[in-house]
Amino acid sequence: MPDRSTLLRVEHLRKVYESTNGPVEAIGDINFTMHAGELVCIVGPSGCGKTTLLKCLAGLLRPTSGLVEMDGSPVTGPSPAMAVVFQEYGRSLYPWLTVRGNVELPLRHKKLSRADREKLVTDALEAVGLGHAARSHPWQLSGGMQQRVAIARAIAYQPEIMIMDEPFAAVDAQTRADLEDLVRELHATRNMSILFVTHDIDESVYLGERVLVLSKSPTWVQEDLAIDLPSERDQITTRALPRFTELRTHVYDQIQRAKRGDAVAAQPAH
Amino acid sequence: MTAHTSSITMTRRGPGVGSRIVASFLYALGLPFLLLVIWAIAATRSTNRFFPDPLTIFKAFVDTWIGPAFVEDVLPSLYRLGLGILASIVVGVAVGTVIGLVRWLRELLEPLLEFFRAIPPPVLIPVVMLLVGITDTMKVVVIVSGAVWPILLNTIEGVRATDSVMTETANSFQLTWWERLRFLVLPAASPRIMAGVRQGLSVALILMVISEMFASSSGLGYRIAYFQRNYLIAEMWSGVLLLGLVGVFLAVAFGLVERRVLRWYHGLREVSRA
Repeated sequence: MPDRSTLLRVEHLRKVYESTNGPVEAIGDINFTMHAGELVCIVGPSGCGKTTLLKCLAGLLRPTSGLVEMDGSPVTGPSPAMAVVFQEYGRSLYPWLTVRGNVELPLRHKKLSRADREKLVTDALEAVGLGHAARSHPWQLSGGMQQRVAIARAIAYQPEIMIMDEPFAAVDAQTRADLEDLVRELHATRNMSILFVTHDIDESVYLGERVLVLSKSPTWVQEDLAIDLPSERDQITTRALPRFTELRTHVYDQIQRAKRGDAVAAQPAH
Repeated sequence: MTAHTSSITMTRRGPGVGSRIVASFLYALGLPFLLLVIWAIAATRSTNRFFPDPLTIFKAFVDTWIGPAFVEDVLPSLYRLGLGILASIVVGVAVGTVIGLVRWLRELLEPLLEFFRAIPPPVLIPVVMLLVGITDTMKVVVIVSGAVWPILLNTIEGVRATDSVMTETANSFQLTWWERLRFLVLPAASPRIMAGVRQGLSVALILMVISEMFASSSGLGYRIAYFQRNYLIAEMWSGVLLLGLVGVFLAVAFGLVERRVLRWYHGLREVSRA
């Protein structure tokens, strides 16, 4: 896709934690770029530093070295161009605010007229199918609906990229399928750029246009795989395609190799 | 402070609301009524003049407190109490929020605060009397010096324990400091703050009475001490009764405010228990 402009560029990202037992290298050397309007999934073995990577990208954590660039300017802290959807929806939404209050909160300091703000909130809630629940409190909703509220909050914020950290890890399988289709739909109809971190291989192949397979810690990008499935996807036919099976088998193999740590050849030189 | 438990029930709604209200009303008033009857019987058989029967006390209550004494003694007391409670909440929450947010300040001050908290506030009364004189301010200062601690320490703890994911959410959406305070830190700490206020209320009532007994020419504490010294036993007991009623009133008022402020908290707990 040559006409898409570069949105996010990550170069030689490295993160070392200081612990009492000496330094722990969580992220070794991560390089990738993401274009505007893309839906990229990041998948890796458990404990490979996915969340650390995401926090570095979102400006919530300072990398030890390396560069994260958004629209050509370096990310040094949280930015209005990014919105994060956390895995723990129950702790990311504020229980003392209503659904509407939660979605509206990040917009309060944006220079918007009251009418514009109301419109953004209503529009975002309708986009996730929760127009009717605006006056409820988050804890009155099911887990899947709560995560929809968090997604609506991210949409209303109008970021250039939505970063999602294993957002559906805590919901049941049926809800999860619905939420996956919601992400596909937001990507297709609103042309949103989405970076989706997951540990679920099927989910990454089903959702992504590209899948980045991470190695085990210290992490690097073991493979950057283009997903050549048709862009119209649905839970039954897409998952039944032979190509889907091939891709998921491939990613699965890569993860197994990553776990064993015998993919060292793919590591770029420091 | 005996009426804490009675205000907490009756939150769920359902069929037969009316009859349930009547039933819980009977439950709440049954035992006090029984005790009154026993007391009345015991008082008529006893010759001890320090324990008059309830009717005498009730009569003394009406004669003593309904009239000019209400303006001269009860209102000043309630004024000092209200001012003391208000100042304790404002100071406790404001200072507690700052200490709770600043880590080094917390580590620096916590042992000191525990020490101050451990000092029984009545011993400060002579000192405060010397410093600010025998005034209303002295009584309010004494009330605050005791009631502020549970509020302050609970606020520190509540602010400190703000959920890390909630804080990270605030970071990622770049909330301003005022928005953080108003929509994250204070609401997150509000269950602890309210617990502190609840403790503070009973301390404040005790200190109101004591400070008035020490050096005062008006107020409930002063009046009760006066009755005691002049052997006006029934009047003294009626004052004690009035203090109890003030305590009950405080607890009920607090319950109403708490239910409103912490509606989300009780709802959340009910959902997570189910």
